[in-house]
Amino acid sequence: MPNSERKARSTSRRQFLKAAGAGVGTLAGVPGAAQAFDLAEFFQAHFRELSREELEGVIQRLERKYSEKFGKAVTVDAVGPNDGVLFGYGLDLSRCIGCRRCVYACVEENNQSREPQIHWIRVLEFDRQDVIRGIDFEDGNPFYDHEEVPAEGKVYLPVACQQCENPECVKACPTTATWMEPDGIVVIDYNWCIGCRYCMAACPYGARHFNWTEPEIPADELNPNTHYLGNLPREHGVVEKCSFCIQRTRHGRYPACVEACPVGARKFGNLLDPDSEIRYLMDHKRTFVLKAELDAKPKFFYFYG
Amino acid sequence: MQPRRPELKYAAPREQRSAWPLLVIVLLAVSLLGADSWWRPSNSDEGYPSRPLQSESEPVLSPPPPIDEEYFPCSDCHEDELADPERRELDEHDYIKLAHGDLWCLDCHQSDQRDLLHLSDASPVRMEESWRLCTRCHAKRIPDWRAGVHGKRTGYWRGPKQYRTCVVCHDPHSPLFKPLEPMPPPIPAGDLRASSREEEEVPHAEQ
Repeated sequence: MPNSERKARSTSRRQFLKAAGAGVGTLAGVPGAAQAFDLAEFFQAHFRELSREELEGVIQRLERKYSEKFGKAVTVDAVGPNDGVLFGYGLDLSRCIGCRRCVYACVEENNQSREPQIHWIRVLEFDRQDVIRGIDFEDGNPFYDHEEVPAEGKVYLPVACQQCENPECVKACPTTATWMEPDGIVVIDYNWCIGCRYCMAACPYGARHFNWTEPEIPADELNPNTHYLGNLPREHGVVEKCSFCIQRTRHGRYPACVEACPVGARKFGNLLDPDSEIRYLMDHKRTFVLKAELDAKPKFFYFYG
Repeated sequence: MQPRRPELKYAAPREQRSAWPLLVIVLLAVSLLGADSWWRPSNSDEGYPSRPLQSESEPVLSPPPPIDEEYFPCSDCHEDELADPERRELDEHDYIKLAHGDLWCLDCHQSDQRDLLHLSDASPVRMEESWRLCTRCHAKRIPDWRAGVHGKRTGYWRGPKQYRTCVVCHDPHSPLFKPLEPMPPPIPAGDLRASSREEEEVPHAEQ
């Protein structure tokens, strides 16, 4: 279908829906319904199709909404990718002690639901003997509970979104609500996510998580510095995952997990910069990616320091 | 077929974006000019760092942890007399558990000037520069540390960042990383709504 024709058709469809929706809204006429059902939110265009003015409107609406909801000033950022940047991540398996400091730093930074609980990072514990033969995820135990870590004879493998260059989740999404940005971060437009969870089924790393109910975050624990494509508070019925702390890294900062790791096992940087940390470890260390045989091309590299 | 990427309308304005490569080049040039000498051990008495490490491209060193005032300066108790070099059970300093190779106190501490450390050639090293002593044995770690791959960095992946010297993370007397209490394990998926389940008195599903 020619592009212009498709555009014209989708526009007319949208106008029809808009008119129909407005009619329903008028008919309903219930005062409470206006709050529960936001027309502007319902008819919001896809993030990548928003004009600058429309985006500003969306940001203002979201800032107002969440500032009211949480009773403090919430900012919503939508800064784009920087030229010449492709993010990559390194994790030193010889250092990780499985303390889960990264897990909870991530929860706090990225406004994950406390109840029901959502963790973007999952730390798997393996028997050292098993890993020698190769990593089989069926052997990994995320529920270990020792008094002290590392436990004798165990090794630890933290897993979150692998930010694939060839992301299966993106191919599975029927509404293009998830896509890969030019700086390599696979992001989600929570407004366009319909909660079908196809992406979760497609992801080989179990990195995506679903809000089965309205997520609960205590107002005083909410991180008010949000990015539209990252730690913006989520709603009931959308999928979420690690965004390489887009709200931090697009402003040059390290992700929260990197700064939380007490053993310095986590490394982050620009894969296109030959002087970066991530390029150094790829040049000098033995690195591997999880499930390389699937050809998803993760940009999350595990290494032995 | 790969869908064509639409132009990103939300990105920063063009002029702002095109300034980044120039900035990066300038920063790289600055770091290349200065990088070769700043970390090297200087045998001068001025100590380390020899010049402030505050510019954009250079890492800022986190200060080493403070030494227990009860025990430092050492010269409060130890006069300048020569120390007894014999390996023995100590009456004082019983909080120190030596677990660092086969080292003994005077392998690192000066035997006459007690507030100082010393290298194998007997040249003195201040406590704040202890990394100069560490790297005499652990020189292999230097390239990884300089690249930011050994040790922890915080701050900006592009911009000012903090480094840590050896003793910030490693106790020089027993350098192996100490075990930690882990944060709580995740709630198994069957128990995702743990609190409501307790209310309903539904037995917890085995994961």
